[in-house]
Amino acid sequence: MSNVFIHAENLSYSYEEDGGKDKHPALQNFSVDIREGEYVAVLGHNGSGKSTFAKLLNLILEPTDGILTVGGVDLTDPDIEDAVLLEHRRRVGMVFQNPDNQLVATIVEQDVAFGPENLGVEREELRRRVDSALETVGMTQYAQHEPHRLSGGQKQRVAIAGVLAMMPKCVVFDESTAMLDPGGRREVLDTIRMLNREYGMTVLNITHYMNEAAEADRVIVINDGELLMDGTPDEVFSRREELREVGLEVPQCTELIHRLRREGISLEGDTVSTPEACAALLEAAYTKLSKS
Amino acid sequence: MDKICLEHVSYVYSAGTPFEQKALDDVTLGIRGGCITGIIGHTGSGKSTMMQLLNGLAKPSAGRVLLDGVDINADVDDVFEEWKGQPQYASLSRHKAKRAMTAELKKRKKELCFRVGLVMQYPEYQLFEETVYRDIAYGPQNMGLSEEEIRERVLEAADFTDIDEELLNKSPFDLSGGQKRRVALAGVMAMRPEVLVLDEPAAGLDPLGRTYIFGGIRDYQRRTGSTVLIVSHSMEDMAKYSDDVIVMANARVLRHGTREEVFAHVDELAESGLDIPQITRLMKLLRERGLPIPKNIYTVDEAVSYLKKLFGEVAR
Repeated sequence: MSNVFIHAENLSYSYEEDGGKDKHPALQNFSVDIREGEYVAVLGHNGSGKSTFAKLLNLILEPTDGILTVGGVDLTDPDIEDAVLLEHRRRVGMVFQNPDNQLVATIVEQDVAFGPENLGVEREELRRRVDSALETVGMTQYAQHEPHRLSGGQKQRVAIAGVLAMMPKCVVFDESTAMLDPGGRREVLDTIRMLNREYGMTVLNITHYMNEAAEADRVIVINDGELLMDGTPDEVFSRREELREVGLEVPQCTELIHRLRREGISLEGDTVSTPEACAALLEAAYTKLSKS
Repeated sequence: MDKICLEHVSYVYSAGTPFEQKALDDVTLGIRGGCITGIIGHTGSGKSTMMQLLNGLAKPSAGRVLLDGVDINADVDDVFEEWKGQPQYASLSRHKAKRAMTAELKKRKKELCFRVGLVMQYPEYQLFEETVYRDIAYGPQNMGLSEEEIRERVLEAADFTDIDEELLNKSPFDLSGGQKRRVALAGVMAMRPEVLVLDEPAAGLDPLGRTYIFGGIRDYQRRTGSTVLIVSHSMEDMAKYSDDVIVMANARVLRHGTREEVFAHVDELAESGLDIPQITRLMKLLRERGLPIPKNIYTVDEAVSYLKKLFGEVAR
């Protein structure tokens, strides 16, 4: 087993209003371990605390209570040195929802260079990083284009390239596909998977789309600031009723198999969340029935 | 007569520049009144342009847009011959008649904003008032309604969108994302538009939030008998909520018909870059594996009832 990269123990965070008089807990006693190289989907309804968790990971927000260590850096240390924090933010990159809010330059390759340039990366090394980041996300041919003329999916891939040019170990996607059309969503998801599979990057994908979560290795569900479920997609989606209670649904295929079983049709096997697995399960049952 | 008609409508962006792009290319169609029509298509297929044409926000480069048979972009020269015989113009000189007609057209144009309500993408960014109540009341106020009527409209719209009365006195900025979205939607419904047009109304919401939004829209349509158009990427949502479906591709209409008629051509839809619901993909896989599956199954309910029947028959 690889090393733990993110370690949260009894982690809490409260938003303060009215000069600290009003406290709204967004995350409470939240404990989770995420290992290097894992691809984890984070589910939860709007306001469940999943974005708060993401923002704690590179100290956009400071934890109110508990332990949070990311890549060996203690993020609850009040005396954290600026240099350590800077290095930490380089290692944990974030991609947000709205592609238009993340691009700063007027030319794609300048946008990708923005981060490392600020770190003072040498010109030659900078060139190499930008080229390689654009190649990784498949946007090399757009290097000289103006970002505002790109599609949503292309803009998000440029935003991802900007993060990659910082050479991070972990990338957190905070609903990065929410504003994209199906084609754009596919582009971004394929990129996420490739970063994880081929580059061994630790990936957190915070999403509302159950079908996206089904593609991850592991799914965690946050509800009202607490960890509700943690397991493989099939394990999590097998708890259909509980998910519905917290305003989430299971993928259509999971729902179908569940309801067929309730109708008294005997289907062997575990919970499935993809059409491929579902088709195999139904075909097996059909073949068995026709032979008997 | 169809509620909305597009006659040979074309729309060109950045005409005469190197970035010239046809968003609509000679589109002719009629949209039924009193039902929900889903407009689906990938980015750049022309669906958002179409919605902007419907309330005069954009004017077609060519062709006509008709609401209840009347060209919404008509200018005085278009209507002069037709209108000059009408009693209110017949006694006027040509010049004065034209001026009166221009005033009438201007009035209609203003009314059009209230008759056709537009809900843009991420409408919650447009909230601005101090309380939820005042934000929803903004539209009816501009219509010049009395305080009493305004109050009635606000409460009705809050009811459609499931906004609790206690929220009405809160600041819209203290609400959750899903609630804000519903307030923005209520603000348009409070004008009781006969045509309600929505661009991706559920984008970015969680499953429960989506159910609230689409439930509210369906409620509004059923209870007011109005015409609703929903622009969406999601075939899954449109399979669930719309009566008719228009599929746009490359600035043209690829398919237009009832939900059943359109979804029967699912393979073609996949080719035009649309998101195929899991169920549809599953049914296709099962067909490829040799199971007898018809082509008209596209919701979980339909799949359950068909497979139940199929497995029951084989077992016997």
